[in-house]
Amino acid sequence: MACAVAVVIAILAILTTRRLKKVPTSTTQNLVELIVSSLNNFVVGIIGPKGEKYTPFIGTLFIYILCMNLLGLIPTLRSPTSSINITLSLALIVFVTYNVAGIMETGFRRWFRHLLGDPIWLAPLMFPIHLVGEFARPLSLSIRLYGNIFGEETILAVLAGMSILIIPYVVAIPLQFPMMLFAVFTSFIQALVFSTLTTIYISIAVSTHEEGH
Amino acid sequence: MGYFIALVIAVGFGVPVAVIGGGLGQGKAAAAALEGIARQPEAAGKIQTAMIIGLALIESLVIYALVLGLILMLKLPDTATMLKLVSK
Repeated sequence: MACAVAVVIAILAILTTRRLKKVPTSTTQNLVELIVSSLNNFVVGIIGPKGEKYTPFIGTLFIYILCMNLLGLIPTLRSPTSSINITLSLALIVFVTYNVAGIMETGFRRWFRHLLGDPIWLAPLMFPIHLVGEFARPLSLSIRLYGNIFGEETILAVLAGMSILIIPYVVAIPLQFPMMLFAVFTSFIQALVFSTLTTIYISIAVSTHEEGH
Repeated sequence: MGYFIALVIAVGFGVPVAVIGGGLGQGKAAAAALEGIARQPEAAGKIQTAMIIGLALIESLVIYALVLGLILMLKLPDTATMLKLVSK
């Protein structure tokens, strides 16, 4: 299901960017430019002007997670993000990306020096603490997304099961409908939080650590 | 038998205790955000964005407790086997 979502988004992206004009006149090009420019402003607002090369990655992450979260609201489908496999793989991709971005921008020595802490003689104490903190980031990213989406789907399932028991077994009142409206909101928030945390981790890794830590 | 008693108490008290802390934390975050908006209404957009992200981060701690509760809940046996165990 996750692959199907990726393929559908890719096909939509190719279809909408086929005949681009410098001054857009078609509605789809305007809409797509609106989405892309707002994502770009979001990323550049956190990382700074050299954050433009990370906009494709973070924008794709946001749109992909949003579509996967919303897929669970269609009546017979489950979200791909309601399994820990998908969220853990996304979090590991983010982990590798921000570490590699830090190494590529500031060099290997400075990245490793940051892990050792500020006074160099405290390194045997600071190194395990920093290491645990570094591993806590992808763990918390994955469990946050998994727990939110899986919990919301469980609540929807329980409410839908209860909806036939109000008037016992005669007619089903869809009790889960207000929860589905709330679930649209929380799906959006979770995709936003994942992307914002990714952007913040990249901006921490890419910035030169001279001005105070 | 004591194992199952302890497991049921842990499942029952796990998430609600986490929700107490989460509720207090989110209340303070929302109160600070509302005060900031009341002082400077033109910064409302940025404050609202930061508030939503802060609330989601605090909420994620409660979600960790929920995941733990769900894992423990799957280890509880169903009523038939429990009745068989008790009546032995």
